[in-house]
Amino acid sequence: MAGKNPFPLSRDELLKCYRTMGTIREFEERLHIDFGRGDIPGFVHLYAGEEASAAGIMSHLGDGDRIASTHRGHGHCISKGVNVVAMMKEIYGRTGGACNGKGGSMHIADVSKGMMGANGILGAGAPLACGAALAAKFRKKGEVAISFVGDGASNQGTFLESLNLAAVWNLPVLFVVENNGYAESTSRDYGTAVDSYVDRAAGFGLPGVTVDGTDFFAVYEAAGEMIKRAREGGGPALLECKMVRFYGHFEGDAQTYRGAGELDKIRADQDCMKKFRAQVTAAGVITADELKAIDREVLGVIENAVKEAKAAPLPTLADLTTDVYVTY
Amino acid sequence: MPTASRPDAARIGIIANPVSARDIRRVVANASNLQVADRVNMVLRVLTTVASLDVPRVLMMPDRGGIRAMLLRSLNRERNLHHAFPEVEFLDMEPTSTVDDTFLAARMMRAAGVKAIVVLGGDGTHRAVVRACADIPVAGLSTGTNNTFPEMRESTITAMAVALYATGRLTPERALAPNKMLEISINEGERRDIALVDAVISTDRCIGARALWKTETLSAVYLTFAEPQAIGLSAIGGLLQPVGRREAGGLAVHLSHDPATRRLLLRAPIAPGMVREVGIAHWEPMPAGEPFPVALQAGVVALDGEREIAFNAGDRVRITLRENAFPTVDVARCMQAAAREGLFRLSSSTL
Repeated sequence: MAGKNPFPLSRDELLKCYRTMGTIREFEERLHIDFGRGDIPGFVHLYAGEEASAAGIMSHLGDGDRIASTHRGHGHCISKGVNVVAMMKEIYGRTGGACNGKGGSMHIADVSKGMMGANGILGAGAPLACGAALAAKFRKKGEVAISFVGDGASNQGTFLESLNLAAVWNLPVLFVVENNGYAESTSRDYGTAVDSYVDRAAGFGLPGVTVDGTDFFAVYEAAGEMIKRAREGGGPALLECKMVRFYGHFEGDAQTYRGAGELDKIRADQDCMKKFRAQVTAAGVITADELKAIDREVLGVIENAVKEAKAAPLPTLADLTTDVYVTY
Repeated sequence: MPTASRPDAARIGIIANPVSARDIRRVVANASNLQVADRVNMVLRVLTTVASLDVPRVLMMPDRGGIRAMLLRSLNRERNLHHAFPEVEFLDMEPTSTVDDTFLAARMMRAAGVKAIVVLGGDGTHRAVVRACADIPVAGLSTGTNNTFPEMRESTITAMAVALYATGRLTPERALAPNKMLEISINEGERRDIALVDAVISTDRCIGARALWKTETLSAVYLTFAEPQAIGLSAIGGLLQPVGRREAGGLAVHLSHDPATRRLLLRAPIAPGMVREVGIAHWEPMPAGEPFPVALQAGVVALDGEREIAFNAGDRVRITLRENAFPTVDVARCMQAAAREGLFRLSSSTL
């Protein structure tokens, strides 16, 4: 039976998920370099290291399912199907960007893909996801909404109020706590009274599950059960993905709060892409060469996105008064 | 009360898993979810209890799941109230939030000379402690999903029994009980692991979210003991042919999903709230020391409820029952001995 696919996804689906994770990784690695060179205006928060969460959860979603992302939203956008060139143009502040270059990294949105937006305000996405879930409940098409927060934002009132609202209204919403261990630079021990995000859910009568967020298949399976349950009317739930981030809170963060050797260790031992590669090649379902081909393909996609972004024109002064609620 | 023979040497370890009872069975089976605050309360009760019975020092596993942080805050409050606690020392190790923390903590506690390790966790946590350190007596407190191995008991009583043993008031012969375990060997020891209650063979071949609850994937269940009132996959054996925790031998149950080859359909509580039909082909006793070859060509071995080891065609999987494999503090026997011998009486009256 060697070579028979033991995974809950087909070979093509596995390749697609790897391509998604690889695209996120390369996107972020490239931004790390370009931001350091001063090519990019504004601020970026990189998702590198956390890819298995976005890819594992979003594999279960369609365009009709909506997500509310965080300040660290590039991975969510890519997994939800937002065009990578439009994202890169947005981050470079160019016309043709996902929001015409006016929002930048923290405001990438594409409603046609169900991506309601990255969000610079911590915890602000949770009530938006409740709104989307309420709409889905009325539409009765089995759609769901996902709210992403970090471990820091899960202490925000908006997040806790959203858990309450979702429970009372039995909304088809999944709250995902992407726990990378640091609220910006503050270790959880200093800022969180009850350091279990599942306990937050239990306080509102919702089921909560903790998974190894660096294992794509653990995230995929748990999220699948929770999303299926929400689609069938089983209501909200909370998924805590324990994960690692490879870069600082923001680009330029000196990360003096990390332990000695911590970054090298997490890159060596807790890289979700390494784990994915090891699992699918050991099972004989996908070869290392096939994965390398995807790595090369992704490199080209990102290189092209940067080239197109740099070539795109900057917004003009006249663009200042478009796409706004006020009429000038 | 008799004083400890060498109270200064009486130290114990506590390994409290912050993430036991956190898997997908919360969603698919409404399994309970013991909150971190309650786990910390259990640790606090263990600490005050052993302090009042002359255990001067407790070593604890540090974690990043909230137990250490909340315990330290609680201890500060309790000290303001002048409540008595033993000296609590966290092991000098960097938590990784993986099972490696439990392995390392158990080994460090053994090196530090603890008399016993109090474990807060489910079957999986206890398995991890025993795997790392099978010679230090374990006293289990149930904070997991199935809790077949650790008994459901108030932590105060477990702590009293541990203190009686750790302070030398009860000898090992009177305080400890031997336990069985299953040894799992892949390709003649290329990879080895253990299970304390059950090793389950599943056609599932992905570790994924670890928990096992889909009966259609079950192929065989190997059990150290099987009690009719147990919850989890050991209940399959418990309802077919019970085997006691202290009895000799174990049980192997072979499942079949084909009506032509199955001997009967059994209803068993394979997870909390999930009574499911399971097709049984046959079952047989497992004598100690005899390797049982696994027939399934490729699949996953789940140990004490969690998918752990994937194997492929050509891999040789053997499961062997071992008796007298590791000691546990026998709380019921300790407390009976304490009552009989008046160990908690403060006067010399024998009335």
